[in-house]
Amino acid sequence: MARIHDSDEPLLRRPLGILNCENDSIWLYFQVRGRGTLALSQRHPGEEIDLLGPLGNGFPPFSGKSILLIAGGRGIVPLFFYLRTHAAENNLLLAYGARSRSDLTFIDELKPWPLRQTFFYTEDGSFSRKGRVTDNLIDIIISEKVDATISCGPDAMLHRLSQILPDTPLGHFVSLEALMGCGFGICHSCAVMTSSGEYQKVCEDGPVFPITDIAWPN
Amino acid sequence: MAELTTDLGFLRLKNPIIPASGTFGYGIEFGRFFDLNLLGAMVLKGVYWDPRPGNPPPRIRETHGGLLNSIGLAGPGAEKLAPIVRQLAAQTTTPIIINVCGANDDEYLNVAGYFDLLPEVAALELNISCPNVKANGRCPALDDRHTYRLVKKIRDAVKKPLLVKLSPNAPQVVDVATAAESAGADGLSVANTLLGLAVDVASRKPVFKNFYAGYSGPAIKPLILKLVWEVTRAVSIPVIGIGGIVSGQDVLEYILAGAHAIQTGTINLIEPAASVRILNELHELARAYHITDLTEIRGKLKP
Repeated sequence: MARIHDSDEPLLRRPLGILNCENDSIWLYFQVRGRGTLALSQRHPGEEIDLLGPLGNGFPPFSGKSILLIAGGRGIVPLFFYLRTHAAENNLLLAYGARSRSDLTFIDELKPWPLRQTFFYTEDGSFSRKGRVTDNLIDIIISEKVDATISCGPDAMLHRLSQILPDTPLGHFVSLEALMGCGFGICHSCAVMTSSGEYQKVCEDGPVFPITDIAWPN
Repeated sequence: MAELTTDLGFLRLKNPIIPASGTFGYGIEFGRFFDLNLLGAMVLKGVYWDPRPGNPPPRIRETHGGLLNSIGLAGPGAEKLAPIVRQLAAQTTTPIIINVCGANDDEYLNVAGYFDLLPEVAALELNISCPNVKANGRCPALDDRHTYRLVKKIRDAVKKPLLVKLSPNAPQVVDVATAAESAGADGLSVANTLLGLAVDVASRKPVFKNFYAGYSGPAIKPLILKLVWEVTRAVSIPVIGIGGIVSGQDVLEYILAGAHAIQTGTINLIEPAASVRILNELHELARAYHITDLTEIRGKLKP
């Protein structure tokens, strides 16, 4: 949860994904969407921001498994972090889609990393396969003997995944986004309905959930 | 060091800083950010007898200088809260105040009666003012007769000190305050959130499923300061000011307007250790203004 430290405007912190964490440095990557992200983007090197974190859970670590990473747009951010930290112990594959080539962030930075297979999609056909990241997942999961998937992206993509993903030995895990107040479990603003009929908090119980735990809208 | 000890009559606090219900969880969560013993008291998240799921999302919308919430008092129910209260009391000597909710008189009575018997509880705060539970923000605190009847009923049933948390949305807040006092309240918490509306232009619908939501944050401070001034002119029981407090300066303003103590609210969500920072600022300001005891300035706003 991040905000600028020297102003009460905007008031609330913004929930941002961690792109990388090395030595004493943390990389946050975000799109400027409103007042909060704009204020953060206007900080200069050497200036301070006010950070509370890391908060919530993460994707399961796995070991010696075949894991398919499914990213939609800026959903690549936590998956790239997973790739950096878990590529050595696992056999990773990546399916990554966005509207067009320019929205496929980090595509060059991904190159040095050991990915067994990559599948890129653009909706406008400006790069690699034309279509959506959800188009060929069943084939990939079966032919590549995928043990589990981890995914992050727009709600519509995650919802689609909940409808199409076939059973795998270790299941499917999604990282959710939500409007948040505090980010540490106090305000209950980021409630998500689960399949057991109870709300859980994205900030504290998540943001990563087994895909079957979420009550996706019909 | 200025004397910040605050005597509410029914409860003596080491300082006037109290985190407010709904912004402080069950206290334990904040123990990782600071020493809970530094606080004057703390009010836990409002509790019904039965578990409550809360309202369907969205539940929050930021505004300029504040936010609207429509949480709907999500919580585990009274019997599941009791072990949490015991766990909290084992970690701190700071007085614990239970925010008592009810969908009807019986539920209010059950919850109040239940926590009245818990030795770890210092006082009850009767929440008759949550705007997010019933349609159009209806709640007992909008009406002085309803308030009198309910407060009297609870007062007759419990022994512990009873605070009553008022609504700023009542047409005549002062009448409701005096009604609560005559019904036997030991103190008043002024006030709960203001009713607000958020509009989604694209869908032409209200943002929140409950239509209205509760408005809080620094933006509302002048409105609640005014209420505290008016209410403290009219009653003789202690008033705890709640509304947009983010600094030691704000605390002094509330005390000058007549408050005995204050509750920190929205700021706790943004800055978990805000209450401690505010307390430190209060110490510094008291020194700067040569205040040796807060009673010197309470209600001393010069009209």
